[in-house]
Amino acid sequence: MEKRLNELNFDEEGTVKEIDESLLRQVAGMGVRIGKNVRMTTKQPMKGPVVVEIDKSFTSLGRSMAEKIVVEVKK
Amino acid sequence: MKLNPDERWDLIDSIARHVVTYGEYRHTLKDAIGELTVKPMTGLPIAIAVMYCFWSVFGSFAGTLCTDGFFVKLFDGYWLPWLQEVFPGKGGWIYSILIDAGGMTNGEFILSDNCFEAFGVLTSGLFVAIGVVLPAIVIFYLMLTLLEDIGYMPRLAVLIDTVLHKIGLHGYAIVPTILSLGCNVPAVTATRILETRKQRFIMMTLLAIFIPCGAQLGIMEEVIPDLIGYVLLYLVIGYFIFGFILNRIVPGKSPEILIDVPQYQKPMMTNVRRKLWMRVSSFFKVAVPFVLLGCVVVNVLYLVGFIQWLGDLLAPVFVGWFGVPKETAGPLIAAFLRKDLAVAQLSVIEMTQYQMLSAVVLVSIYFPCVATFAMMLKEGWKELIGSVAVLTVVVFLYGGIIHLIGKLLGVA
Amino acid sequence: MKILLMGHPNVGKSVFFNRLTGANVIESNYSGTTVDYTRGYMSLDGKEVEVVDVPGTFSLDPKDRAEEVAVAMLKEAKDAYVICVIDSSKLERGLYLALQIMEEGYSVIIALNMDDVAEDKNIKIDNQKLEQVLGVPVVSTIAIENIGISKVISRLKDAKPVDVEDITVMRAGMNHCGRCGRT
Repeated sequence: MEKRLNELNFDEEGTVKEIDESLLRQVAGMGVRIGKNVRMTTKQPMKGPVVVEIDKSFTSLGRSMAEKIVVEVKK
Repeated sequence: MKLNPDERWDLIDSIARHVVTYGEYRHTLKDAIGELTVKPMTGLPIAIAVMYCFWSVFGSFAGTLCTDGFFVKLFDGYWLPWLQEVFPGKGGWIYSILIDAGGMTNGEFILSDNCFEAFGVLTSGLFVAIGVVLPAIVIFYLMLTLLEDIGYMPRLAVLIDTVLHKIGLHGYAIVPTILSLGCNVPAVTATRILETRKQRFIMMTLLAIFIPCGAQLGIMEEVIPDLIGYVLLYLVIGYFIFGFILNRIVPGKSPEILIDVPQYQKPMMTNVRRKLWMRVSSFFKVAVPFVLLGCVVVNVLYLVGFIQWLGDLLAPVFVGWFGVPKETAGPLIAAFLRKDLAVAQLSVIEMTQYQMLSAVVLVSIYFPCVATFAMMLKEGWKELIGSVAVLTVVVFLYGGIIHLIGKLLGVA
Repeated sequence: MKILLMGHPNVGKSVFFNRLTGANVIESNYSGTTVDYTRGYMSLDGKEVEVVDVPGTFSLDPKDRAEEVAVAMLKEAKDAYVICVIDSSKLERGLYLALQIMEEGYSVIIALNMDDVAEDKNIKIDNQKLEQVLGVPVVSTIAIENIGISKVISRLKDAKPVDVEDITVMRAGMNHCGRCGRT
């Protein structure tokens, strides 16, 4: 099942499938990229940022950035 | 040859396949604490606890232990009486500027009995700089540096992002904000971690207006310990109200947070020491000359009658609009040079508690000190003019509102 | 000659800088935050060499002014040697930046810092192989314990510009290529 990154539930994992062009270069250096396994660590309340774990590193992105990333959810 | 991100990652993947072997990953205690401190349910209470600790250590170390426990005794008990005794020309203008302006009671020249009232360059000036501000700045920067080197700041940024995004900033704006509580000058430079001009402008304006510096906090702890909570409350509320408004009217984009949340690390002492030394020494290079200069300027202006004249001129505004005594004119001039000095000066003026509260808030939100001013000019004169315009509006509006609140509560 | 110290934020870069420059640090800047940079000097073969602690950055595609400063500082110092400090437990991310710097034609040396953390996490990196593949010196360090720093200094002279295309060739030579890996 496909979801946007911001829609992942707490502790849910998936594989990054698509990153919007506008975000690609920005997040590339932080290790957020297509094909990588991603786990939702926290979602801050009131449309706050999310924190995701990729390759043992934690990255925090704003909600609308997370919306631009598509993830294939692991069952 | 240059690669695009995809090609680069492909190359890295194939290199990594050859050179790295990943064993089983063990989740460590560090990882667990790392997650606990960034999850809202656990992280927010922890953040509040951390900030509370920060504040109480600051107050008890700087205020109670160093200033009251040592420097007040030293300066009021030995330094001031000694200087008053040995310095020649009692009552003359050099004496007034350097040592003690004293006061005339029944035609007799009476010397001050403490370093807040004397207001000489070598008495109050040195006392404020060394006795009050030095301990405050050292302990503040020590704690901040530790929080930074441990790796706590990015987590704080994530936790507070939601709120700061509402005023056009994002979580990382917590760094200049906290830094500014030490000194506004480096905080202006630190606004560079924000992405757009809009964000930097909002941040710079807010910190110049609403964030009291460590020197001012230190002196407030010392002279108005009962009121400091209310002063900070007014400033925090103002920070958010005017941030919210600025976000609406300033054109430009407010991008969201995008940061790495690093693992916790053990801070290295030599690194902490070096950073602390650098921060404290650059603070004092800026602060001490201005404190001393501030004493001279204010004393001279008093001697020539300028401050009394200005006070009379502005009396309708001060008394009518802001609800503070007209003597506040003097401290407000000093505030342009040093806010700590201004608060020290305010503390010896006769007024009610609420007037004192209003006056201290006014001193805080009115013009940033001249060093901050210079720093802002470096970041761009357009921004500076914009900030000053906002500031003027804010001082009058907010100052009036505070007076109004006092009236409604029946305390002003 | 000038040496730039580059790497992500929080990889122990400033500790590394302290170790390199020792007591020989001249603060030329108000360093309130990580945004500003610090300069210092170290002696290399009896000569004083300037070392610059460049603000932390994740890539050469800046996402804020601090990163812009980092990129600008790199571009200004065309013939500088770059010590790229990488968190060993996050090799891939670090290599992304290192490769970008190499693509710009700089002489790079890679310091795999926080080697102990990587070990704790059961991550093993074959330095020699990495050096072979990249064509630039690779040294393991634990800056916080002053391990490996002198080795980095002694190997600075081996740093030279590498065309990333050659990396691709070598990769093919190892009968395993990225393109194939993808299919």
